[in-house]
Amino acid sequence: MSSTPLARLDNAHKQFGKIAALDGLNLAVNRGELLALLGPNGAGKSTAISLLLGLQRPDRGAAELFGEDPHSIDARRRIGVMMQEINLSPVMRPRELIAQTASYYPSPYDTPVVIKRLGIEKIADRPYGKLSGGQKRQAQFAMAICGRPELLFLDEPTVGLDVQAREALWQVLRDLIHEGCSIVLTTHYLEEAEALADRVAVVTHGKLVAGGTVDEIRAHVSRKSVLCRSELPIATMRAWPEVLQVTEDSGRRHIVTRDAEAVLRALLAADAQVRDIEVRRAGLAEAFAEITNSNQASTNQPGSVQ
Amino acid sequence: MNAGNMSRSRVIAAYAGDIRFELTKMIRTPAFAIPTLLFPLIFFLLFGVLMGSARGNVQMSQFAFSAYGVFGTIAPGLFGFGVSLAFEREQGQLLFRQAIPMPSGSYLLARMVMAMIFVAIVSLIMTALALTLAHVPLTAGQCVAAFFVNVFGVLPFCAIGLFVGSLVSGQAAPAIVNLIYIPMSFLSGLWIPMQMLPKAVQAMAPLWPAHHLVQLSMNAVGSPSMGDPVTHVLALIGVTVLFFVLAVRRLGGRGIRLFGSGRAGGGMPLRRVLNMGVLGIAIGLVIAGVMGGNAPHAATKTAATSNDAGGSVPDASGSSAPVGVAAPDKPVIADFDGGDSNASYGLGFNASDDKMRGGNSSAAQKVVEGALEVSGEVGTGIQYPFAGTSFLPNGAPKADWAKQGFMDYSHKQTLSFRARGDGHEYMVMMMGPALDTIPAMYNFVAGPDWQQVQIPLKNMASIDLQRVKLISFGTMAPGAFRFQIDDVRLE
Repeated sequence: MSSTPLARLDNAHKQFGKIAALDGLNLAVNRGELLALLGPNGAGKSTAISLLLGLQRPDRGAAELFGEDPHSIDARRRIGVMMQEINLSPVMRPRELIAQTASYYPSPYDTPVVIKRLGIEKIADRPYGKLSGGQKRQAQFAMAICGRPELLFLDEPTVGLDVQAREALWQVLRDLIHEGCSIVLTTHYLEEAEALADRVAVVTHGKLVAGGTVDEIRAHVSRKSVLCRSELPIATMRAWPEVLQVTEDSGRRHIVTRDAEAVLRALLAADAQVRDIEVRRAGLAEAFAEITNSNQASTNQPGSVQ
Repeated sequence: MNAGNMSRSRVIAAYAGDIRFELTKMIRTPAFAIPTLLFPLIFFLLFGVLMGSARGNVQMSQFAFSAYGVFGTIAPGLFGFGVSLAFEREQGQLLFRQAIPMPSGSYLLARMVMAMIFVAIVSLIMTALALTLAHVPLTAGQCVAAFFVNVFGVLPFCAIGLFVGSLVSGQAAPAIVNLIYIPMSFLSGLWIPMQMLPKAVQAMAPLWPAHHLVQLSMNAVGSPSMGDPVTHVLALIGVTVLFFVLAVRRLGGRGIRLFGSGRAGGGMPLRRVLNMGVLGIAIGLVIAGVMGGNAPHAATKTAATSNDAGGSVPDASGSSAPVGVAAPDKPVIADFDGGDSNASYGLGFNASDDKMRGGNSSAAQKVVEGALEVSGEVGTGIQYPFAGTSFLPNGAPKADWAKQGFMDYSHKQTLSFRARGDGHEYMVMMMGPALDTIPAMYNFVAGPDWQQVQIPLKNMASIDLQRVKLISFGTMAPGAFRFQIDDVRLE
């Protein structure tokens, strides 16, 4: 990562009353990458985005957009924004909303081009208030990309979309990255991060607790899953060393452990009939759960994403 | 990829696009657009036409033209800004607009222009109705003046609406705005002229921006108006700035910036100082308006009408007329010793009433023992009845009002005469070019014994002394009357 970051939080602190929403968060978005911001509700993701958009100012530390104050209109002319929980004027139509947003940018896409690219011709001339939740998100997404942004902020972009629409949106995001656009995305669909993200930043309690590529995050986590079909009582399995959790799903045991090899030895020794053994590395979901749990238990040294 | 530089023409197009956007939004919101456009026009038809011109009451239709013009000005400001801003703030639209590169202040500008366009539409239609159906006597200049009073008069209400919108929820906003709109309309004399409202209401009037605006409008069209136009304008500017600054601060507290790309840190203290300064000036202007906006009540005793003691600004309609003929040096106007009602210059004294204006008052006069006796009865046919006797200092016989000449009395100091009568209160009025403006008035009591009345002309401040058409002695109080005057002098 050689070039200077497009957006940066440097030791950002933000206090709301007694709650520290951000507690010294470091974050950098590099050119051409998709950074997924993960974390439980109230972790500080939205506050982090607000700071980068200039909607709020850090109490301490710095927020920068293209090396400038995020309030700067020149910096904001280079970003596209899709926010969560906003309602646009119900009597206006997506075509008009897109055209209005596009008019704020120096060299936007033509509105019909955006509409065609996202395949939203059918809803383009319907009043916004008459659209479904997913269609509203599509209209907002169109508004986010219409200004030909260098950096795109997407707050939960696929909430309410059906599978097809979500896949289509993902494809547009991949194309945009390919065209050189950078993206910051918050999501609580982990598969979304797994499918798209070059880098993941996990935030809890206003701090960065893990950061890196999806693979690095996975590797960061020692948990593995051992799956098998066995007649052994679940209680017996639970008593084995290093076993964290045992569940059964349609006849298949699911053993979560930190030491897969030890579990396998014990399993083979105890049950000669065991079948269909499979060992899996943790997915992002497990990784995420472990990272956030362990961070709740102890205040680890936060990792740094650079 | 672009570098964030934007051409001037694109920025201007963005501002213009936002105006179009806001207008479209409002036009597609019939719950806003229809009452905003129709109510003032319906009220004008009702009061200005049916109860005004259709019954020969010109003053009524003239008053309705100003009153409902102002009524139609308040709504686009209060509702267009207040209610919809509260909704859009709650929906996160304001926050979103400041995250994307909306040009500085564009949202506010668009809504302001939208409100002004709505007012312009109402005002134009009302003017057309006034000229056609209501036959309100309006010159082209008066139409233009009233139009601009309304179009710019929306700004203080935009500011108040903005403040309400920054304060309360979208749910509560309509109720709060109505709580301001309806009582303020009444207390500002939009339903009943301020001159006819109780003294307590009159005393409070300068608090309401609608009062200042309607007085400006009445002044512009030559209706009887109160207070000094300059004071009204100052009060309105003060209200605008005050509520605007309060609203911007309040929104700022909610994390909503309406303007531009403030630099971090350093600029803050200066901005705060400026804020406080502007706020201080605004409060000063409002207080000045409150102190000065209703001044005449200190000067006159009658509650029915009231002259303007606030300043020496001549009425708008006549200030461009040529200055009158210089008054003769001789002080005596008339002593009635010749047995007739002639004066030493001009057209003599003639009994006058309000029949020409649609009233039913009557007056007769005769010379008795070297004095002029006037008697008759004041009716209640019109809003401002009158009966008495009138002197046209530069009048021509049998000419209509517009052709009567002016007299320049600006070098005279005092009007004096002797009076006696039935014990009632009477008034001296001086009128300028426009028949329909409120005249300068001075009250006197005509008791059983002859009494000398001296009126310093500076007490007749609302008359332009260079352009005096008429001096009248008489009364507006309904009922029978009888009084005598003698030795009328101006020196």
